[in-house]
Amino acid sequence: MRKVICLWSLVMLCGALMLNGCAKEQVVTPEQPLTAPSSEKQLKQSEAAKQAVQEEKIASPAIKESPVAKDEASASAAAAQANGLLKTVYYDFDSAILTSSARDTLSANASVLLKKQTGLKIQVEGHCDERGSAEYNLALGERRAKSAMNYLMTLGVPASRLSTISYGKEKPADPGHDEAAWAKNRRAEFVVAN
Amino acid sequence: MKRCSAGIRVLIMSALLVAVICASPLILSGQQGYLEVSAPGNRQLQLAIAPPAALSGGVNQDVARAIIDVFKFDMTLAGPFSVSEPQVTESRSGIRPGDFDMASWRAAGTDLLIKSGYVVSGDSVSIEFRLYDVLTEKELAAKRYTGSKRDVRRVVHTFSDDIMSAMTGIRGPFTCKIAFVSTATRNKEIYLMDYDGQNIQRITKNGSINLYPDFSPNGRELIYTSYKKGNPDLYRRELASGAEARVTTARGTNITGAFAPDGNRIALSMSKDGNAEIYLLSKEGKQLSRLTNNDAIEIAPAWSPDAKQIAFVSDRLGKPQVYIMDSDGRNVRRLTTSGAYNVGPRWSPRGDKIAYCRQMGGGFQIFTINPDGTGDTQLTREGSNEHPRWSPDGRFIAFSSKRGGRESVYIMRSDGTGQTKISRGGTSDSSPVWSPRW
Repeated sequence: MRKVICLWSLVMLCGALMLNGCAKEQVVTPEQPLTAPSSEKQLKQSEAAKQAVQEEKIASPAIKESPVAKDEASASAAAAQANGLLKTVYYDFDSAILTSSARDTLSANASVLLKKQTGLKIQVEGHCDERGSAEYNLALGERRAKSAMNYLMTLGVPASRLSTISYGKEKPADPGHDEAAWAKNRRAEFVVAN
Repeated sequence: MKRCSAGIRVLIMSALLVAVICASPLILSGQQGYLEVSAPGNRQLQLAIAPPAALSGGVNQDVARAIIDVFKFDMTLAGPFSVSEPQVTESRSGIRPGDFDMASWRAAGTDLLIKSGYVVSGDSVSIEFRLYDVLTEKELAAKRYTGSKRDVRRVVHTFSDDIMSAMTGIRGPFTCKIAFVSTATRNKEIYLMDYDGQNIQRITKNGSINLYPDFSPNGRELIYTSYKKGNPDLYRRELASGAEARVTTARGTNITGAFAPDGNRIALSMSKDGNAEIYLLSKEGKQLSRLTNNDAIEIAPAWSPDAKQIAFVSDRLGKPQVYIMDSDGRNVRRLTTSGAYNVGPRWSPRGDKIAYCRQMGGGFQIFTINPDGTGDTQLTREGSNEHPRWSPDGRFIAFSSKRGGRESVYIMRSDGTGQTKISRGGTSDSSPVWSPRW
């Protein structure tokens, strides 16, 4: 075993010496052709020079993208009414657990959906306050939206009428930076989706 | 004598480093301190920028100023250099070896000297650069680049990359771009800029929310999450053509996509099966495997440079922490053990560090940690700082900071020094990612 290691060390050492030799040559004679008068041509042909000229041009995207439809604009009059009837649910910091007042609000929303607006489809939007990381908050916002949706389902709202989306902290209801604003932003909203 | 030793040290370093690179880039990626010219305690090398000379034709102040400005910015950020433009009177002037009087630069205390000359002809600009070790009077690098007037900054950045290559064996990242998210249009759109904040170009124009850009390893494509179709879906865009393809079609979050080092696969957090889990997809969107499976949130996958491991964020123990798993999902172990809330890991290109953010005192700070959990080091302290992303050479980290009020893109050296604001203007800029070599 020791012999093998010794042999390896020898091989490595030889390799290192050889490579060192090759490296020194490169360092001692860097860009040597350039000192000669004929250097200009070589330089002009260098790949870097080509890159500098060509790669700068990034075509501005020609693809036309349609703007995102606004939920509010597509909503019918009945839907607009429903939007007012469906109340927003609020959460504790870094939590998707439904408080007792959140469950009360969801019960009221469920009865609107089951008795008054029986044709409406609803998208539950999950939101967060600004304190967590934006990435984690996207996942947390979804957890909130799903906890609200699941509760509506246990109250009898068909799953086919419900969907979720998370906006994380991208769409605060209150742009402030204090506890009052944060409390308003940790929420699930109910938006008409049909 | 002091200066002499510095100059020799640099030359020896170069020789050794080129040898190491010949030997194996993989070995290098695991080595510490190969940039020892910038190690603490070493004297900074005095780098002088000679006034750019008009080689033929007229003087062009704009070109000359751009050359000096770009070199000053790049070389100052680099770290091992103290950059100046000393007024030195040469008995003979010129930029080529032997054409000018090196002794006067030596007398001015210069270790390294950048000479440059330009020729402007219509819209075409040709610039010749030469880097000298003043003590040995050796030319360390020489290049000429030709382009249009609008390419001048890029051409100077290219020679800055060459200087880093000549000094350390590893090219600089100064010709790279930074992609980022900006609220300039009140929506969140993805933009591209030079690493120093110049030449801003808008990439997405869909009027929606676009998040978390990440480059393909060849720099030609960007992936990002967009709400343009009413759900946070992952998209892939070819930068040159602007062609865009939707990668995911499942409802739910499709976020924090990360291109694998092979450029063919994407690690992505998707919630299609109930809650946020990490999946491997082909870059066309075919699911290859599911890497995590539990009730917790799993997001923010970050590949090791050898693609064998993936760091990620999970709240399986309550609060988000950084974990590492093998890239087949096995052998999960917790990386961060200090701090209650750690997110946003990103593996360094050399493989020796993982940058991440820790929630502290109402904001976030950026740390680096070794993949074995040792060496946990805080890099930022001012304001709230997030989203660290390495430069392709591992020397620098781009990040976003709210220290100035609005969130802006900053860059720093990987040891936390040299923190510099890059984005300008009155917009809120976040989620920067440094491109591969452009």
